[in-house]
Amino acid sequence: MKVATPNVDQSQPVKAPLKPLDIVSKGWSWLFLLVLVIFFSIFGQGFLNVYNFQTIGADMALVLIIALGETFVIISGGIDLSTGFVMGMASVAAALVMSNLGGRAPLPVVVLAGAAAGLGIGLIPGLINGVIIARLRVPSFIVTLGMYGIARGAGFILSGGQPVSININGVGQIGNGYLLYLLPDGRVSFFHLPSDLQGVRPSQIIQLIPFPLIFLVIVVLISAWLLSQTRFGRHTYAVGGSEEASRRAGIPVVRHTILIYMLSALLASLAGVLYTMRFSNGAADVGDPLLLTSIAAVIIGGASLFGGEGTILGTVIGALIIAIIQNGLIFLGINPFWQFIAVGAVIILAVLVDQTKKQLA
Amino acid sequence: MEDTEIGAKSLSRREFLAGTAAVIAGGSLLAACGSTGGSGSTPGATSTNYTFVLIQGVKGDPFYVTMQKGAQEMANKLGVTLLVDGPAQFSATLQAPIVDAYIAKKVDVMIIAATDKQAMIAPLMRANDAGIKVISVDTFIGNGDYANGTVTFPLSYIGSDNVQGGKIAGEALIKAIGNKGGIYIENTIPGISTTDQRQQGCIQAIQATNGAVTLVGSNYDNDSSATASQQVSALLSSSKGAQVGGIFGTNLFSAEGAAQAVKNANKQGQIKIANFDAPQQAITDLNNGAVDLVIAQKPAEMGSTAVQYGVYALTGKTSSIQKRVPTGYVVIDKTNVNDPASQAAIYKS
Repeated sequence: MKVATPNVDQSQPVKAPLKPLDIVSKGWSWLFLLVLVIFFSIFGQGFLNVYNFQTIGADMALVLIIALGETFVIISGGIDLSTGFVMGMASVAAALVMSNLGGRAPLPVVVLAGAAAGLGIGLIPGLINGVIIARLRVPSFIVTLGMYGIARGAGFILSGGQPVSININGVGQIGNGYLLYLLPDGRVSFFHLPSDLQGVRPSQIIQLIPFPLIFLVIVVLISAWLLSQTRFGRHTYAVGGSEEASRRAGIPVVRHTILIYMLSALLASLAGVLYTMRFSNGAADVGDPLLLTSIAAVIIGGASLFGGEGTILGTVIGALIIAIIQNGLIFLGINPFWQFIAVGAVIILAVLVDQTKKQLA
Repeated sequence: MEDTEIGAKSLSRREFLAGTAAVIAGGSLLAACGSTGGSGSTPGATSTNYTFVLIQGVKGDPFYVTMQKGAQEMANKLGVTLLVDGPAQFSATLQAPIVDAYIAKKVDVMIIAATDKQAMIAPLMRANDAGIKVISVDTFIGNGDYANGTVTFPLSYIGSDNVQGGKIAGEALIKAIGNKGGIYIENTIPGISTTDQRQQGCIQAIQATNGAVTLVGSNYDNDSSATASQQVSALLSSSKGAQVGGIFGTNLFSAEGAAQAVKNANKQGQIKIANFDAPQQAITDLNNGAVDLVIAQKPAEMGSTAVQYGVYALTGKTSSIQKRVPTGYVVIDKTNVNDPASQAAIYKS
């Protein structure tokens, strides 16, 4: 809040001084997140813990990476329902390539080839989505709903209906590794555990900063830069604000729309590759349960389904709120069915706050 | 338009900077919270008041609810606290974060129906590394051989082999249709290991007849009885319809949908239906003639044995723990539905 408040002040210097209500409405998601963390810390014994926060970060990576791509799509006034199964299809492609190359090529080659296969195949549905939406002017909801089924079927056909397992040690170590390992005897090791671990139990080793979290932060920063600092980002807001006006202003709307759906598919595929690295496995349906959660994160983050509004930071907070609720309720020992109600209520609350904000403005 | 663009640009650049700063601030806040939390927590349980968690394959399913009841009874008897959780869908993507949260919560024993035999290895390895005893129920990780297999850290795999269950279902169905004719398999969702294995087992039983019984086909109904009903109706009115003597539904919804379609086609009794899993509804269906066979697993036994084993492990009685406990099946039909063994196998929700 401390950081955000002066920013709000400066960005609208001509308007009347900030009212307390304004601060609440602008920073409500930050406030809400903070309240959640404090609440769970007090009432959920064991919640406030380095290990727990690290795993929340690593475990939310898949949802958030999909949600980042969805943020661009939603800001441009569209929706992408195919991300979950594009993620699954990419994880299958990555797992197939890795398991076939495993043992026959050095680890970096195996990993990079698998990642390239996953990302490459994921771009195809993105390109098709974009071309049909932008050129043939079919609503994005319908095109991506169709692609939801096509990517699902393609993923199952590629994998033969069964999960594709990879039994290569190094791959799982990358997906589940940490940047820093602190040993009880005071030694520090980067990237991997030292090989001489005589007498040290795994539970005595302190592990810091999981790789998926580092990966996530990099992807978040690149997405934030792309949306807020580049022409690509400005065009995304413009197309979402008014497609017609954008066209008249000389923005290549068709090309831009195609690129947005390709970006969304690329990020979904990236989540698929990350899944493969973390779970040593690829399957067509691994991303499906994340689709609605990722859209919920974007909406809680303040993006408008009518387009033109939304930020990467908002989406990050939205995903954090969902992840913290899901994790925190476990520490409270509350019946897991309440999770659905809690997350559902937050979605409605987010949109209500947004509307109130607009009426006040 | 120009105006909007400039507005968006200047606003967003500041937002970006503020956001970056906020992320850094937030990060250090978390780090600060973390360090206080770390120093304040006490490692390990000091009392004998053990906490177990049962992580189900999917929450709300009668099979897992029955398992929970069995586990709870044993937990009450032995005086341990039992927590129960599970993902909203049968999915490793959703189950892994739950495992991670219970590692952070520092439970003593984790009893889990892993949703994927490969994908759940890494999360459960983390639990094992943190000193939590891991016990598999219903499903396994690796190849299921915890004595000499690829994964050996879980204490035990307590459950019934779904391939074997599918085979038992197939054999019972083959017998019911008089050892000749065709069988159709109505399956749930592709990629779900348990139901795929049941289908695989049923196909093995069909192949073992050396052509006397044939597989007419199979389909996926997305775990919806309405879809299953449509698919079977279409099948029965197609040219293949006359070949069908029996239908194997790999779960309740699949069998119920098939039963509805058979009833609509006035072929009730002519076409035999086998239902895998035995929630109360399946027994009702059996009693009113909608289905002919119900194949029951013993989830309550899986739950109670797992809790018993957890306590053995924590109290050093490791010699009482077997690496593999096959719990077996009960095949229920109209002739034995009222037997005590059948009644005990019905799932309670």
